[in-house]
Formats: sequence, structure tokens, C-alpha cells
Amino acid sequence: MATQSASRPSAPAPRRRFGRRKICRFCADKGQIIDYKDIENLKSFLSESGKIVPRRISGTCAAHQRQLAESIKNARQVALIPYAASHAVR
Amino acid sequence: MRKYESLYIVHPDVVGEALTAMEEKFQAVLTEQQAEILKFDNWGTRKLAYPIKKQTKGCYVQTIFEASAEVIAEYERRLRLDETVLRFLTLRFEGDLSETPTEAVAALDDDIDDDIDDDDQDTED
Repeated sequence: MATQSASRPSAPAPRRRFGRRKICRFCADKGQIIDYKDIENLKSFLSESGKIVPRRISGTCAAHQRQLAESIKNARQVALIPYAASHAVR
Repeated sequence: MRKYESLYIVHPDVVGEALTAMEEKFQAVLTEQQAEILKFDNWGTRKLAYPIKKQTKGCYVQTIFEASAEVIAEYERRLRLDETVLRFLTLRFEGDLSETPTEAVAALDDDIDDDIDDDDQDTED
């Protein structure tokens, strides 16, 4: 145990967040509406496996993320977007 | 009175006259109950993102209408009874009729591909 802590610096360097702050795409462009039928737009907020991209990554604001999540779920229900990429029709 | 939009997926085997008859049937359900149809749109047959009732294709029909809340219950009941309706979704309609982004979907049409391209930002750490 002692050797392990010795190999590590005593005070770990604070984790640096770098890069510019992401801005909400829907706040930036007020004209853009979140719609479940707009698949192309929604797809950019889905991961490769079809999961909803979290806010911390996409930078969407809370209010718009809620709307977005709702729309994605509606789109999934009417088979416009797959629930999971593995379920998609080949 | 409120505006609603409804989307239902019809079995791909229902085509031609049978399909128009069906569209009219559901429109009649609405008009019978003093609902006003504002827009009616048939997106045509397109690929489903995942199979529903073993079907990989379906015909999407969208209706935007103005009706009182009680109408929805009856309308959805009727949709549920019809076995050729694979899926339906009724939502409150928000926004203007003049600028509905249905064109985006119409342009996509038949090829909704299964690979969701990940053009998004990568993870932070």
C-alpha cells in the first residue's frame, strides 16, 4: 500500500476542463423547432447505437433536451427511429 | 377545441382502393364528431425502423385536425380495432400549419437506413 501511494503524486493535479463551452443548438437558432417527424435533425442527437446523447455531451440546454427526448421517444414509437440500432431492419 | 395531429401506419398489403377507403373511414370518424380536418397527408409506403407485427414496411398517414378532447378517445378506439393499423400516435399539434416540416420526411421517403451516423461530438474524457 505504501509503495503504491509513494508512486502517485501526493496532490493529484486538478482535472482540467478545456475546450470552449458548448451552446445549445436550439437556443442559438430560435427558428429551429423540435419535431418528431424531423428525423435528420433528431439523428444528430442519437448515438451510434441509437441512444439519446446526454446533455453534457451535446450541450443542449435543459428545456430543449426535455423536448428533444420527448420527440425522439415519439419518433421511436412510430418506427421512424429504431429503439436500438441492433433492432433496425436490415 | 384543440388542434391535434395524428399519424398512423397502415399494413403494407393495404393498397389502392382499400387504402383510400380506409383513409376515408378514419376521416369520417373525425368529421362525424364535428372535428375539422385541417390537413391530410399520405407519406406513402416507407421502411419501418424496426419490424412491427412482422412487417418491415408500412404506409404512413398523417392527419391534422381540430377537435374537442372527447373525440380523441373514440378515434383512437377505432384505430385500435382495425388490425391493419400497425401503429398510431396522436399528439397535440403545436406550431403553424404553413410551416410544418413534413417535407423533410417526404424527401427521405423510402430509404431510412439503419445506421445512425454518429456525426456528433466525442466524449469529453
